[in-house]
Amino acid sequence: MPVPIHPRPFTTDKDISSAEFWARSFVEREETFGWLRKNAPVSWHPPLQTPELLPEVHGEPGFWAVVRAEDVAFVSRNHEMFSSDSKKHGRSVMFRPTDPSLVPSPTFLTMDPPEHTRYRRIMSAGFTPKAVNRLRGLIEQRAARIVDRVMGAGEIDFVTEVSAKLPMMTVADLVGVPEELVETFAEAGDRFVGADDPEINGGTDRTQFAMQQIRVLREIGLDLVRHRRTHPTDDIATALAQAEFDGKPLSDDDIQSAMLLLSVAGNDTTKQTTSHSVVQLWKHPDQKAWLTEDFDGRIAASIEEFIRHASPVVEFARTATQDLELGGQEILAGDKVVVFYASANRDEEVFDEPHRFDLRRTPVPHYGFGGGGVHFCLGNGIAKAQLRALFSNILTKLPDMRVGEPEMLQSEFIHGIRHLPVVIPN
Amino acid sequence: MKIKVDRGRCTGIGICESVAPDYFEVGDDGGLVLLREHIDDPQRAEVEDAVRACPALALSIVED
Repeated sequence: MPVPIHPRPFTTDKDISSAEFWARSFVEREETFGWLRKNAPVSWHPPLQTPELLPEVHGEPGFWAVVRAEDVAFVSRNHEMFSSDSKKHGRSVMFRPTDPSLVPSPTFLTMDPPEHTRYRRIMSAGFTPKAVNRLRGLIEQRAARIVDRVMGAGEIDFVTEVSAKLPMMTVADLVGVPEELVETFAEAGDRFVGADDPEINGGTDRTQFAMQQIRVLREIGLDLVRHRRTHPTDDIATALAQAEFDGKPLSDDDIQSAMLLLSVAGNDTTKQTTSHSVVQLWKHPDQKAWLTEDFDGRIAASIEEFIRHASPVVEFARTATQDLELGGQEILAGDKVVVFYASANRDEEVFDEPHRFDLRRTPVPHYGFGGGGVHFCLGNGIAKAQLRALFSNILTKLPDMRVGEPEMLQSEFIHGIRHLPVVIPN
Repeated sequence: MKIKVDRGRCTGIGICESVAPDYFEVGDDGGLVLLREHIDDPQRAEVEDAVRACPALALSIVED
């Protein structure tokens, strides 16, 4: 379906579209977002520069940048006005323009209610506080093993040896992947997410590489769901096996999509928050000591600040379904509206000294799980349980770890750390 | 004072349960169970926090 083109002038001279802008550091980019929050809270920009995709092919005329916390919340909560439906609008919820002819199998991430509600409900029972508590023992066991493995290891990359390990294993556990397949599943998920990185795809064609990983996740997912039809337990594979819409079970493609969604949503996010928080605790030894002093009493609130400060998901996009006014601007039906969670997490109207990593902040009404509404991060409880388990181990077992300079991920989507050299003395 | 749940908005996320487990519990089917409707004075602040924390804006406090 063609996207309506509304030619209109760009409302500021601030560039948040070029590849060059997004190659800059988070802090540098934040200067621009800070200016926008103050002077142009809703602003129209050219589409994100995509060297690999011609503007004539993606057909996007531009996007509205929503950068204030209050407006990010408004857009997020009003899904009738700001749709995620990728089929209807011919575009995904990604900031990065995509080729409209290559529409991936939809997941509830790119649906609106009522369809969204039905699909999300299939998995949501696996993410309730009670369900998270049932998984807690296993998460803690895995976290302990991961950290134990690096005690006294000397110089290592904290990202590959620690941060990256737990999230995909937890996804595997949620799904119900049998122990002997967990590593294969986890590796495929990690590789899928990192498929653009030549270090990870080994210089091969990134699309082929990604498809190989999709095949692994699909096969394991389908086998498991098939098995669960006759051997149900309380994992997500069982929920997928038992789901029915109008008397029909989920298709193989639906199951594959679910595996991919979990592998993407549940992977980079927790991994990045772990790495960022290790860096911040190193930069603020007084706060590290404060947290260690009363871990059980202070970790819950600290985790909220970990997430706010790391802000691993920088933004998502919506499509306006009607003409409306926001931030003094006239938004037209069909316009792409991008909500910048990372900017909301630095909104000086909400957070005192927003750039400051401050574990004593309370409350921390951050936007790390989105701006609220029906798409609020389903995995929020699982993420927090993992962070708690990891940092309990890190603070007690690696107290003398020395942290080097992070190598940052270059991405307009994920605020990430690619490598983090650390030294763990004996 | 008592708690009101907008069932149309509630999707069983469970932040309320993490904040005020005496009042809110998300069942194994993913639906919210309101354990207690009326708020005890000493727990008023905790319940208010839970109400404020709901990402779906499904909770409110009303006069009896």
